[in-house]
Amino acid sequence: MSIMEYNGGSVVAMVGKDCVAIASDLRLGNQALGISSNFQKIFPVTDRIFLGLPGLATDVTTLRETFRFRVNMYTIKEEREIEPETFAHLVSSTLYEPTGGFRPFIAATDLIGCLNFAKDFVVAGTASTKLYGTAEGLWEPDLDPEQLFETISQTMLNAVDRDAYSGWGVVVHVIEKDKVTTRTLKGRMD
Amino acid sequence: MPDMVALSRQQPQERQFNPYSENGGTILAISGADFSVIAGDTRQSEGYSIQTRYAPKVFRLTDKAVLAVNGFAADGNMFVKQVRQRLEWYRHAHAKDMPLRAIARLIQTMLYARRFFPYYVYNILGGIEDDGSGAVYSFDPVGSYERESCRAAGAAQSLVQPFLDNQIYFKNQVPQPGMTHPKHLPLGTVGDGLEMFVVLAKGSPLYGLENFDGVQEMTSTHEGERIFVVRRNLKRD
Amino acid sequence: MNSLTNRFSTTGPLSELKRAQALVENEEFSDSAWGSEAGFGSLAKGVPNFTVPSVPDPSAFLRLHTDDHADPNCRIKIQHGTTTLAFRFQGGVIVAVDSRATAGSYVASGTVKKVIEINPYLLGTMAGGAADCQYWETYLGIHCRLHELRNHERISVSAASKYLSNLVYSYKGMGLSMGTMICGWDKTGPAVFYVDSDGTRLKGDLFSVGSGSTFAYGVLDQGYRWDLTDEEAQELGRRSIYCCRTPRCLLWLTLEDGWKFIGNYDISKLHYDGPGETPGAGYGYDVRIERSTAAPVAVQA
Repeated sequence: MSIMEYNGGSVVAMVGKDCVAIASDLRLGNQALGISSNFQKIFPVTDRIFLGLPGLATDVTTLRETFRFRVNMYTIKEEREIEPETFAHLVSSTLYEPTGGFRPFIAATDLIGCLNFAKDFVVAGTASTKLYGTAEGLWEPDLDPEQLFETISQTMLNAVDRDAYSGWGVVVHVIEKDKVTTRTLKGRMD
Repeated sequence: MPDMVALSRQQPQERQFNPYSENGGTILAISGADFSVIAGDTRQSEGYSIQTRYAPKVFRLTDKAVLAVNGFAADGNMFVKQVRQRLEWYRHAHAKDMPLRAIARLIQTMLYARRFFPYYVYNILGGIEDDGSGAVYSFDPVGSYERESCRAAGAAQSLVQPFLDNQIYFKNQVPQPGMTHPKHLPLGTVGDGLEMFVVLAKGSPLYGLENFDGVQEMTSTHEGERIFVVRRNLKRD
Repeated sequence: MNSLTNRFSTTGPLSELKRAQALVENEEFSDSAWGSEAGFGSLAKGVPNFTVPSVPDPSAFLRLHTDDHADPNCRIKIQHGTTTLAFRFQGGVIVAVDSRATAGSYVASGTVKKVIEINPYLLGTMAGGAADCQYWETYLGIHCRLHELRNHERISVSAASKYLSNLVYSYKGMGLSMGTMICGWDKTGPAVFYVDSDGTRLKGDLFSVGSGSTFAYGVLDQGYRWDLTDEEAQELGRRSIYCCRTPRCLLWLTLEDGWKFIGNYDISKLHYDGPGETPGAGYGYDVRIERSTAAPVAVQA
């Protein structure tokens, strides 16, 4: 069994026109047994950077604190907010997963920190193959924030329905230049 | 002389017997009210090497049944050959083609005959039922089967199936107030494949099929069910 | 005399040759397959006919290639993962099953029908190998019909389940995998029998089979009584399947004059709204919590 399948969970991020979106499921499981339907996997890093961490729940919690610490240290040292790209490299060097930020920017790393800067979408988690399929079919360039929300929601909902280790609700953040919209979607409960 | 008898009675000794290989590829079938579409890619590969770019895995069985096989190509080809043989015997005995639901059950019993030495083959059967409706049957390698309206199998199964759930079954889509999702999609929106068979029920319209690129009719008469095949080139990468 | 010994001896060059011929020739079909038996697959001769690989240990061979519990990367994935339950009560037998089939993390299907309608009076559930259950319970159906024709009366649930049990027992150790409940109504009243591929056959009031059975038993045991009303019994069936998180729950009720299909329930709808049309009456834990915290506010206002 892959370590990803212990607690399950998936994240996808997409680029739109002057916006990005990041979505995750809300399930925390012990393999096939569902434990919680309200487990946060996407964390705000700055006002315009969101970090999605699907994987082993204990590492998700630990890393989230590690990144908070490093970003705070960076802010104090540099006396400015960290840039998304800089943060992606910080994630990469600390070893982990995808981010959504601004100057429409998304990036993902694999479990050992190999960076992937994409121009369309990035996926991670137990539903990653299903997310690739749905995202490849539904995404198109230059979507406005509302269209991007619909696209990422449909991508996520349909992908996690075919994954035994993800699901139980979805949270979507749409990030624009001056605002972030967060919506929680009612998903299938099986 | 006694020595030779002893030798011949010895059982063969073997360490490992692995008669299976994985030849990649993806197959897919969708059924509508009066049609059925069965598609597959035509590449055959083993590991990273491409053995051929044209090895069909979708086969016409009768005028109203098409079978797609995916998994181990040698098993698949042999299986199709045997199914066709049984269908021919049936034709000789009964002077008619076997109905689709009977072909589905035949495939089950034929797969299950190899329960202890399975064919490494995932089968999808598509076609027209006796009542004129489009149907898709999907099988596991040892013969458990189910009638569905769309199914993907093979290497890209997990990429294709959730997309079909969304676009064919309208999963996670809520219709506008006062509207409903169409019960069956029209053929035109159902799509494209590298090698795609379209089976139309008796008397069904062509749904603009005649304008498709590279379409070719497989049936000689226009009276009964009609089968068309659409061939596309494989991306050469 | 010589020809007789030749024909029946199991040693000697002639029998070696025969054995080799049997391996080489495709013995699957007899000449009669040219006739009307052409549509019967492995049942062409009336009895099932199986190909077995010619290796010293055929079941080890099968396990090597098909056991996805031991090796998730094995090639041939046979469908697994199920919750099925059946219980007897004053009004008949309730049979409830889930609808999900998974292969590793992939949800292969959410619409599997895990009840096999053996005949209008007998139902069989399906857990373990999907093909094993489908095939053998269909085969059981053939023999139940033959019993009717030979004896001018319906087969008892007990006899039918014993037929199946003896059948799979003769394949013990070959790698079959099935856990099934044979449910029906005969001269003795409603009856449920548990039969599995190890050869176990049990008569009982209440069974649950499959990976989700522990969860189902939890709900079932606390709600089960003999004198449940039909409505209560159906609700118990739904709630027991609900706890196993399958996309859909299928419900049957067996009565004296044969079984009848009760319904196909969407579990997500049961979670949020319950079986009726009242929103907020759902089975879901968070849905119920929301309601109970909202209630005191309503009283204050």
